Amino acid sequence: MFSIIQTTLKGVFRDRVFQGIMALAVFFLFIPSAASLSMRQVTELSITLSLSLISILLFILALFLGATTIWKDIERRYTFSVLSLPLSRTTYLVGKFFGIALFMLLTALFLGTVSILVIKFSSVLYPPSRPILWSTIIVSIFFDALKYIIIVAVAMLLATVSTSFFLPIFGAISTFLAGTITQQVYEYLQSQSAQKAVSDVVRNAAKLFYYILPNLSGFDLKVHAIYSIPLNSSGLLLTIIYFFVYTGILLAIGSILFERREMK
Amino acid sequence: MNAIEITGLSKQFTGKHMIKIDALKGLNLNIAAGEIFGFLGPNGAGKSTTIKLVMGLLRPTSGAAQIMGLDVSRPESRYNVGYLPENPAFYDYLSAEEYITFVGTQFKMDSTLLEQRTEDVLIRLDLWDARKRPMRGYSKGMIQRVGLAQALVHDPEVYILDEPMSGLDPIGRALVKDIILDLKARGKSVFFSTHITDDVEKVCDRVGVIVKGTLVAVDRVESILRSGVEGYVIHLQATEAESLPFAGIEALRRTESVSEYYVPCSGFNAFMGEVNRTGTNVVLVEMKRRDLEDFFLSLVK
Repeated sequence: MFSIIQTTLKGVFRDRVFQGIMALAVFFLFIPSAASLSMRQVTELSITLSLSLISILLFILALFLGATTIWKDIERRYTFSVLSLPLSRTTYLVGKFFGIALFMLLTALFLGTVSILVIKFSSVLYPPSRPILWSTIIVSIFFDALKYIIIVAVAMLLATVSTSFFLPIFGAISTFLAGTITQQVYEYLQSQSAQKAVSDVVRNAAKLFYYILPNLSGFDLKVHAIYSIPLNSSGLLLTIIYFFVYTGILLAIGSILFERREMK
Repeated sequence: MNAIEITGLSKQFTGKHMIKIDALKGLNLNIAAGEIFGFLGPNGAGKSTTIKLVMGLLRPTSGAAQIMGLDVSRPESRYNVGYLPENPAFYDYLSAEEYITFVGTQFKMDSTLLEQRTEDVLIRLDLWDARKRPMRGYSKGMIQRVGLAQALVHDPEVYILDEPMSGLDPIGRALVKDIILDLKARGKSVFFSTHITDDVEKVCDRVGVIVKGTLVAVDRVESILRSGVEGYVIHLQATEAESLPFAGIEALRRTESVSEYYVPCSGFNAFMGEVNRTGTNVVLVEMKRRDLEDFFLSLVK
């Protein structure tokens, strides 16, 4: 599996689309001057913009890599040569996923380092009213990466059954959008007003989706990072466990489907 | 143990409007260890489907196949195989050297041996100078040679080659034939598909012909060639005046010193007996036979 991971990483780093996406990181250079326009809370705005830029870049990469990696291998007939090697399709799929996941973490590390430099620069020029919790910013970036790794897993799962990249791309975008709000929807459905306003059928359907779709709200720690709010360690631990379990289930389903796929 | 055993292998695809298409119908075929087997058939006959089923890329509708005694549904069965896909494509962002190393790693080759074998196959397939360049810049022939290199690198017992000569220039084709003959000399088994009969005639021990998903003939190449002998063209040293009929057979053509006779197989002994009796010199005996292409075409038509 190690060589599949290694080959996947090489493929991503040598891809011109990836290089183009990473070129967007140049926007980090504009963050200090853009944040200074706020006049107040310049550091807080630098943190917001930095974390948002990281999120956007990781999201684009997750869609691009998760949706196109397997599709491209099939479309360009690479699978005929690779899947005829003595490795199982599960090894191939999981190896590809680990390669992309590792790449996402490395990218988050790189972008995180750049954003810390940018935030530091802003905080030196415009000292913030509250102390910056650097560890919270780092944890926030790490959890952001985990969130997008789940999106990679969703896109790869869809790619195992799809013959084009439309389903993986749009399926992953829809899952991301739905996964970001499932917690709020669930909490609303538990409220008294929802008990009266929403029918049982809709409530049960929403609950079903709540359990099926990924709950991504737990991975969003931007507010903690921006306003230096201390993190709840047991909550973080639960989120990490959720990440491993949910990703594991997606990969297991993906492996079963991919094992059955015909390479015509 | 046979190198490849195929028993009752069938594959049905579902086409548009749920129409069932039988791509392969109950194929039974054994390839012995050390045998070179040519799998002939027109385009769309089921050659590549058979190979993809054997390589585990497709799931059979019914039947089974084994490579060196291992069922092809198990990835371990592929440890003993070097496979060249039809019109191969490889990760084009890798160089040939990187890809061959990747393949060797999948076969769990020792790193020193892999390095040595990678060098050997790249030199043999004339890819040494291009080994560091990404494959996206390679020609079709070079990609085909990378395909052969990755099939050879781990020195397996069984080779499954889907149209190995495709996309190669005459030098490349001669090289592939040399490689197959070398594998034969080393006791390896080769199962290769082609629609070019000349390839089969030159290198194969046995040939199978598949038409519309059904194996219509399997025979030894030499016996096909022998059974296809229809007669002989015999050149005798005889002037126009001396060129008499022998055993009732008239000369076809005459030059100043040589006469040419067409003798059917059945009349060969009588003809030669009379030629010997008259003391006429034989200049040349040419065999006239149906070649493998005629045999193949007679089956396909």
